[in-house]
Amino acid sequence: MKKFLAVALVMMLSLALFANGTQEGGAASGFTPTKDVEWTCTSKPGGGSDIFTQQIKDALKTQGITDANVVISYVTDGGGEVGRLQVAMTGKNKADYTLLTFNSGDLMPMVKNTDNRIENFTPLAVMAVDKQLLFIGENAKYKTWQEVLDAIKAGKKVVIAGSKGDDIETYNKLIAELGVSEAQLSYITNDSTSGAITSLLGGHVDLCMSKPAAAAQYVEAGKMKAVLALSESRFTAPSLKDAPTLSEFGYNNVEVPVWRGVVGPKAMSEEAAAFWSECLRQVSESQVWQENYIAKNGLVSEFKDYKAAKEYMTQYQADYLKSLGK
Amino acid sequence: MENFQMLFHGFTVVLSLQNIGACLLGAVLGLVVGAMPGIGSLAGVALLLPLTYKFNPTTAIIMLGALYYSNMYGGSFSAILLNIPGDSPAVMTALDGYPMATKRKRPGQALFTANMASFVGGTIGMIILTFMGPALADVGLHFGPAEMAVLLLVAMTSIGWLVGSNPTNGVVLSLVGILIASIGMDLQTGSPRFNFGNIYLLGGVKFIPFVIGTVGFAQVMRLMDEKEDTTKSEITEKLTIRGSLLTPHDFKRLLPPAIRSGIMGTFVGVLPGAGATTGAFLGYAMQRAFKNEDPLGSGAVEGIAACEAANNAAAAGSFAPLLALGIPGSGTGAVLLGGLMMWGLNPGPLLFTNEPEFAWGLIASLFLANLLTLIIALGIIPVLIKILSVPVKVIIPIIMVVCLVGGYSDTYSMYGVIIMLISGICGYVLEKSGFSTAPMLLAFVLAPLLEDNMRKAFVISGGSVSGVFFNSAISIVLTVVFIAIAATPIVRAILTKCGVLKVKKAK
Repeated sequence: MKKFLAVALVMMLSLALFANGTQEGGAASGFTPTKDVEWTCTSKPGGGSDIFTQQIKDALKTQGITDANVVISYVTDGGGEVGRLQVAMTGKNKADYTLLTFNSGDLMPMVKNTDNRIENFTPLAVMAVDKQLLFIGENAKYKTWQEVLDAIKAGKKVVIAGSKGDDIETYNKLIAELGVSEAQLSYITNDSTSGAITSLLGGHVDLCMSKPAAAAQYVEAGKMKAVLALSESRFTAPSLKDAPTLSEFGYNNVEVPVWRGVVGPKAMSEEAAAFWSECLRQVSESQVWQENYIAKNGLVSEFKDYKAAKEYMTQYQADYLKSLGK
Repeated sequence: MENFQMLFHGFTVVLSLQNIGACLLGAVLGLVVGAMPGIGSLAGVALLLPLTYKFNPTTAIIMLGALYYSNMYGGSFSAILLNIPGDSPAVMTALDGYPMATKRKRPGQALFTANMASFVGGTIGMIILTFMGPALADVGLHFGPAEMAVLLLVAMTSIGWLVGSNPTNGVVLSLVGILIASIGMDLQTGSPRFNFGNIYLLGGVKFIPFVIGTVGFAQVMRLMDEKEDTTKSEITEKLTIRGSLLTPHDFKRLLPPAIRSGIMGTFVGVLPGAGATTGAFLGYAMQRAFKNEDPLGSGAVEGIAACEAANNAAAAGSFAPLLALGIPGSGTGAVLLGGLMMWGLNPGPLLFTNEPEFAWGLIASLFLANLLTLIIALGIIPVLIKILSVPVKVIIPIIMVVCLVGGYSDTYSMYGVIIMLISGICGYVLEKSGFSTAPMLLAFVLAPLLEDNMRKAFVISGGSVSGVFFNSAISIVLTVVFIAIAATPIVRAILTKCGVLKVKKAK
């Protein structure tokens, strides 16, 4: 085990060295950072957004993508809204050197509770996308999605446990599509997916909404089983491919993609946006990123550059605003 | 016995010179960081996590375990010596610890009591963890939102009469605590509450600046106000090492509560999201029912022992769901989980079958860390108690700086400092008017847990009251306890009025 780890480590390090030789100066021209870059992260050190940011920061250095010194600052006040507002209002002189980790789970509370909008930022990239599934526990009352549907039709109450943000939005779309009320198919919000999984394992709820990565080991241990893919198509992983999509039951598919991205302030120049977008593209194509982040977290690597990301995030916001009735 | 063999195997892994060294380093650092008010165990583990990057996986995990564990010890130091709880369970320790250190002039014994009780509680927790392991985690799973809600209700009801001399004041301040805790984002729907359009209040009031202000900063003001002669220290007698050792009689006093709390604390630690604070609180509440040589709250050895033992046992107990299910019981647990996963350890249902040497190595390292931390703590107590012989005019600015830094370091912004100052002034006014602030702090910690579980329970039961309170055997037992606690004073009052019970003579 130790030897294997040592060999893996040496390989990773040497890969980084090679990469250093070949990729130097590969980024788009027109802007080169000359000052320290301040990267705002709105989660605490060790949180999901922090791990994402740290991985990119490491890849930027080890892959020789840019020499710029990146400093991560954690602004967690106001549930992250303070940090987002600070970045949005960053003035011209610092705008090219300010980055913010921005996920769909950040956009939703921001749009819901504040007047801050995606238009106040310069989207730079979407790095990864994740999708949801519904799982049942070992001793579940309903063994398949069809049984769940039948139970709801028979007037029984079914409870889903899930996390915040994206999960709630997915649930709302699901009940809208099924045409059932919140009382028939109820949802309880947990602080994290692990809380939802706890409720499912304890048999306190019927279903649990989770992304593949968070549920992986429970599925492997036979404690959880996927019964519905909340996606346009079935998942391809062997343990998840048996979960049908909603269209197989005569409904429209429900898919709320959970994305992780990076944005800058609105005042960021076009050249800088192109530069950072290109840097992030190189990160996203690097083997370190694919192995240590994407594969490890069971994500779908889906890179969108600054133009595509702007369109994507703006559309996402518009959809969400519409579902809020704003 | 198989578990015992595995543990033994774990010890053979842990007991190499390098690993003992890492464990020792982790214990010292954890103790120091844990003792700093405002940093506490969560930030402590997060701060020290990168240190482990330099080691091989086994050593790193051992060091992490030691770090996590010794952090729990550290929290009581500032609570006892300065009346500033380093983390939320230490609020309970301060109740008896600070009076014992100052009023009874036995600071050394107070610290020794805390550490011995922590050791006893922690050891009990680990032994239960060793023998029951994954089965223990399954016990925790039986506590769903409904059961947790009723359990927390029991805890919340006892706050008022448990802490301080005046139950009415206690209840009033519990309610204030609940009100303050409800500022910020609503837990179930994510809508803002009581934020008055302020973006900072959207994230709610944070515990660390709140507690440092209410207790620590208020303390500074009290010292300035009360001391006419600020050149003297609170304790004028010479403090010697010999004078701070526990007497055999003290040992006899601390052992029974420590053992009781140790067993109870372990099971509370296993419950999802209950954490060490609930453990410490229930340990103290339980002690109320037993004989105490001094009244609780006036510096009783039993009081310190009951909550410290429960606190550390809960920390050990929380390893059961962490390892066997991959579910962290607290924020600190979550950081630790992140650290473990970074090292390729995959806590979860497959851990004990796939990677037994890792899992048992970690548990063995907890035993070692527990022992090492005790030895280190005993070694530094004689130095620590010197803090109390520092003149008040010197200690005031020092505590003030500690408060400001603690308030700032929670979110690294002035928001924390402002919260700290405001709650400091309020805390001072309340104390001055004869209100004990501890119920407010405890209600502040427990209320969000109660609200969250209660609302989840009602969603699950479809709004049916009996579905929450009479949902399972566990719920029914807890509901009966709850009703008993709530009804006792009323029944007693009625019986007294009818002349069945004799009226207690006023003291």
